[in-house]
Amino acid sequence: MKIPARVVRLIATLLLACCASIPAFGQNPKLQIKNLDKLSSKAAEVVDVTLDESMLKLASKFMAADKDEDDAEARELIKELKGVYVKSFEFDKEGEYSQEDVSAIRSQLAAPGWTKVVGVQSKHDGDIAEVYLMTDSTTRNVSGLAIIAADSESLTVVNIVGPVDLDKLSSLEGKMGIPRLGMEKEKGKASQKPAASHGEKK
Amino acid sequence: MKDLENELRKALERREPPAGFAERVLAQLEPAPTPRPGWREALISLVPMPRLRWAAAGVVACLLLTLGALHYRRVAQERAVGEAAKAQVMQALRIASSKLNVTMKKVQETDRRLPPA
Repeated sequence: MKIPARVVRLIATLLLACCASIPAFGQNPKLQIKNLDKLSSKAAEVVDVTLDESMLKLASKFMAADKDEDDAEARELIKELKGVYVKSFEFDKEGEYSQEDVSAIRSQLAAPGWTKVVGVQSKHDGDIAEVYLMTDSTTRNVSGLAIIAADSESLTVVNIVGPVDLDKLSSLEGKMGIPRLGMEKEKGKASQKPAASHGEKK
Repeated sequence: MKDLENELRKALERREPPAGFAERVLAQLEPAPTPRPGWREALISLVPMPRLRWAAAGVVACLLLTLGALHYRRVAQERAVGEAAKAQVMQALRIASSKLNVTMKKVQETDRRLPPA
């Protein structure tokens, strides 16, 4: 029995479409950061923020009720987000967290879709500052953000799920109690699309 | 005889009824249509005994108060959760923005330290 060429072409197209969608299924901008919970007992100060989409919507409702300018900016930022997760630990002494704790997060950021946009590591004091972006394989839009910031006495992991605007996030400096660092605004940095990775080492 | 005739004639002579006599008679024959009872009367008629009426009113008032209190509590709880979520969002954005800017600043400092190409 001879299969018509048209049917073969259709099957081949469907197979290709299925194969193309496999990486999209594998991309998950939500990181598993529960492994850091064990550090809570050692930390002097802990910030643990877990906000899923429903909580973000609820918060957005209360921001809408207020006429505060900061609230309006924050509301605009979280409008389309699916989740915001933050774990931040401040320790009284050095060596309270291990490199394995950080590696557990980094290994997830090695998955397809994640791109390291900025990475700074100090050789002197071991400070780490890394920014990762997940981009949608089809639309090329940002679908997730991860920040790892660590020094000898603190560790912070930020994971934002959804189309986050880095420019807007960065521009909150000097507002909502965020200290002004006097950062120079340069074109091409902190932009929506991931730029080439910075693997700078001091 | 003549006197008797006169008296009879006088007694039996035709007299016009007083004004409104016919209407008064008709009014007594057809009772006036009773007005439909209002909601208050209808409610009262549900509980015929006056003491029971007060008890029923008390129960209804308690029920309304309880429902009002429950609604107020639910709204207050929702508000508290919303305010807490808002505070968490603000804190998360503060940390994220601050860490992002610190990282960018570190990159800028590193760039400045590097010799020009």
